[in-house]
Amino acid sequence: MLFRQAGIFHTDYAADRALFPIPADRWMIVILLVLALAAPLYMNTLYLSSYMLPWLVWTAAALGLNLILGWAGQFHLGYAAVMGIGAYSAVHAQRAGIPWEIAIVLAGLMAAAIGSVFAFAALRVKGLYLALSTLALQFVMDWTISHVPAISGGTQATLQAPDIRLLGWPVTSDAGLFYVALVWCILVTTFMLNLRRTALGRALVAVREKDYAAAVIGVNSFYFKLVAFATSSFIAGVSGAVLIGTFYHAVTPEQFSVDISIQALAMVIVGGLGSIIGSYFGAAFILLMPGLMNAFISWLAAQFGFSLGIETLAHLPHALYGALIIGFLLIEPLGLGKIYGNIRDYLLVWPFGYVKK
Amino acid sequence: MSEPIAAKVLSLNNVEVVYDHVSLAIKGVSIDVPVGGMVALLGANGSGKSTTLKSISGLLAAERGEVRRGEVQFLGRSIGGLMPQDRVKLGIAHVLEGRRVFEHLTPDENLIAASAVRSRNDMARNKDRVYSYFPRLHERRTVASGYLSGGEQQMLAIGRALMTQPKLLMLDEPSLGLAPFLVAEIFQILSRINREEGLSVLLVEQNAIAALEIVSHGYLIESGRIVMHDAADALKRNPDIQEFYLGGTDNKNFRDIKHYRRRKRWLT
Repeated sequence: MLFRQAGIFHTDYAADRALFPIPADRWMIVILLVLALAAPLYMNTLYLSSYMLPWLVWTAAALGLNLILGWAGQFHLGYAAVMGIGAYSAVHAQRAGIPWEIAIVLAGLMAAAIGSVFAFAALRVKGLYLALSTLALQFVMDWTISHVPAISGGTQATLQAPDIRLLGWPVTSDAGLFYVALVWCILVTTFMLNLRRTALGRALVAVREKDYAAAVIGVNSFYFKLVAFATSSFIAGVSGAVLIGTFYHAVTPEQFSVDISIQALAMVIVGGLGSIIGSYFGAAFILLMPGLMNAFISWLAAQFGFSLGIETLAHLPHALYGALIIGFLLIEPLGLGKIYGNIRDYLLVWPFGYVKK
Repeated sequence: MSEPIAAKVLSLNNVEVVYDHVSLAIKGVSIDVPVGGMVALLGANGSGKSTTLKSISGLLAAERGEVRRGEVQFLGRSIGGLMPQDRVKLGIAHVLEGRRVFEHLTPDENLIAASAVRSRNDMARNKDRVYSYFPRLHERRTVASGYLSGGEQQMLAIGRALMTQPKLLMLDEPSLGLAPFLVAEIFQILSRINREEGLSVLLVEQNAIAALEIVSHGYLIESGRIVMHDAADALKRNPDIQEFYLGGTDNKNFRDIKHYRRRKRWLT
């Protein structure tokens, strides 16, 4: 219906291999981009800086985790730790007087370096064993950050992050910070969209599907797993740095603890492994749903005049939120991205029920 | 074409299977297997043979497929809503393509594992029966199944299916990757089981020559539709079948064959 394919003829290879071959997709992207760019005009600053901004940064982070989990098929339970490496590197670099735009690149490189050194050891094992050794990375980083005063500024310490300056211009307004997050998210999304059209992306998928089958066609699976770890760590590091620079403005070890790793994992799995739009949905769901649930239940209570104990009010949203995750995964095990895909497929072939393969 | 069949163990009526909500695999497939009969389902790659078998044994859900229309009847009863394991209890056994033996278990343990749906008393008897059909398995019964040869693994897969005391045995390309003499041997054993026990068999094959030797009826599936069905002898004599599935007729230019093949399609 909306995404009609009939009448679309590609007359050259470039058109056929375009990122969005169907005009409806292109229009949707343009509309979304315009909406995002104009967001500071129609959205109040509370929504802009406390919902939209973290959502965009976390989406970029979730895309990085999706690269390793959904594309290369390797478990990573220490993703928040890698983000933490980036965050601390950026803050220290900034405090040493390095401009922010260089500091975040350094943060990404630092995270990539530590991530790949660790991956060298961890990638000798596969599957659940790898999951456990990446969890070890999380704990080692937690311990190192909080026990080395040179990094954390002392135990229980909070390290203030200097304000962002881009090309010498201070960025302090809500709109400015929002645009920084938006640009980073678009950059990562573009990279991921293009990844599946490159040799690297195909090699990663080959390694995911069956690593020994990849080996017999000449794909060095260890090398590509390592590249996946390094790339995803780079994205994680920069995302961590951007998150601190635009949202938290200060860095503490708790911001990148193990439950944040689990949360990032939940974003990817709820959104859908290997799905880019799914990462957007997943990050939105995990970040925003608890707050929405809270507001919804308070609203219900106010509407129908029943009073809820403070305990119930605290726990009910969490229970509902958990039930929602289970519910969505029961409806579609491949995540929210796949639900979107199903709707899109339905509209693509409408008014017919299916296509003939 | 074929004479009316009195008692049917299996009857597919206009079955339509759609994968992943949008992609159609088979459409309007109707197949009858008579009690004690041996029927072949022939067709090229990707024509929907395996999908048809999975719609009977209930394995579609694992691959995100569903039966959208039509009915699968087993012994006169519609089995559409049943789980695969419940269909096994009714007497449907599916020998999967590519064997899929439990590699870390020995053949003996594989057979024991397969007798879960039948009583313990039947187990020894069933096992003896399988070993009498496949003496080779008896010789190799203590080796891990992963170390068996392809032919032995295929025998094990068939033996495992027999352990469930099926009324209908469905085989998905048992000749896959086997030497011709092994194919002949396995097909001989299948036809012996069919003859001696009256077990109904639905055989999916690419190897049409071998399959048409042992079955009584054949169905031809092309792009998800049944395009022809007849007695095996009639199929063997059919010039189209000879050309497309039995290796062609003599002294014909290959360029002409390709040409002819592209043009000729059966009406549905």
